[in-house]
Amino acid sequence: MDSRYVQQFKKGSLEMILLCLIARKETYGYEIITELNNNGAAVLGYAKEGTVYPILYRLQEAGFIQCRIAPAAANGGSKKYYSLTLEGNETLKELISFWEKYADCVNGFIGDYQQAVEVSK
Amino acid sequence: MKEQYMKQAEKELHLPHKIKKDIIRDLNEIFASALENGETEQQVIDRLGTPKEFAASTAEQLEIDFAASEKCTRIISSVLALAVASVAFAIYAIVRAGSVPQGAIGQADAMTNLKIGGTFGMDISAVLLVIGIGAAVAAVNQIIRSIGKNRRYL
Repeated sequence: MDSRYVQQFKKGSLEMILLCLIARKETYGYEIITELNNNGAAVLGYAKEGTVYPILYRLQEAGFIQCRIAPAAANGGSKKYYSLTLEGNETLKELISFWEKYADCVNGFIGDYQQAVEVSK
Repeated sequence: MKEQYMKQAEKELHLPHKIKKDIIRDLNEIFASALENGETEQQVIDRLGTPKEFAASTAEQLEIDFAASEKCTRIISSVLALAVASVAFAIYAIVRAGSVPQGAIGQADAMTNLKIGGTFGMDISAVLLVIGIGAAVAAVNQIIRSIGKNRRYL
């Protein structure tokens, strides 16, 4: 069921999902991908770095998230920790409120359709 | 294996230097974090795809932004080129209008006038004409390209 339409849904919601994940607590790339895969893989599909990182760059470029680089003892390198900016927080709130209206609206059409099918039976 | 992958990916990424540096840094972190969590380098590479695929999908995800910024640069440079062209043409026109035709009667009342007309006038106006034409061609080229790009991304 991975039609172009389903792909479009996923693409459109991934930004908001990432903002939600980062808003909960400061987090880094691998953790984000692990959480996406633990909680969303069944519906969203398997998250890959190649998809997630470019969105992180975009969100950062847009000023919605910020990052700080901290040395990571365990791997000898460093980790980039992401957090939401004030603007990102506002945007997330707006996105969520739109999402709720959007879901209500779409569900309304679906409900009408299902009712019509019931009646014609 | 990882070093090889990173080197290859860097070669395949055709993006501005700053973002490329970020991507390579993050790629390093991707490998390190995955190893830290018990994955092998091969598992990470399987997920990322070949360096070429990784570079292509990253660029594709970012393309919209770069298309926009590229378009912005194009518009600025074509406006600049047009400005240079009009200034060059304007000065050329002034210099030409001011220059004295050869053997004009009644114009030789000031020696300096003739001298300027002879030494400066010709050289500078020719140079200006070339600059003007060059800038105009560059402007037209930029405009055509920005329109072309625009269509491709619609």
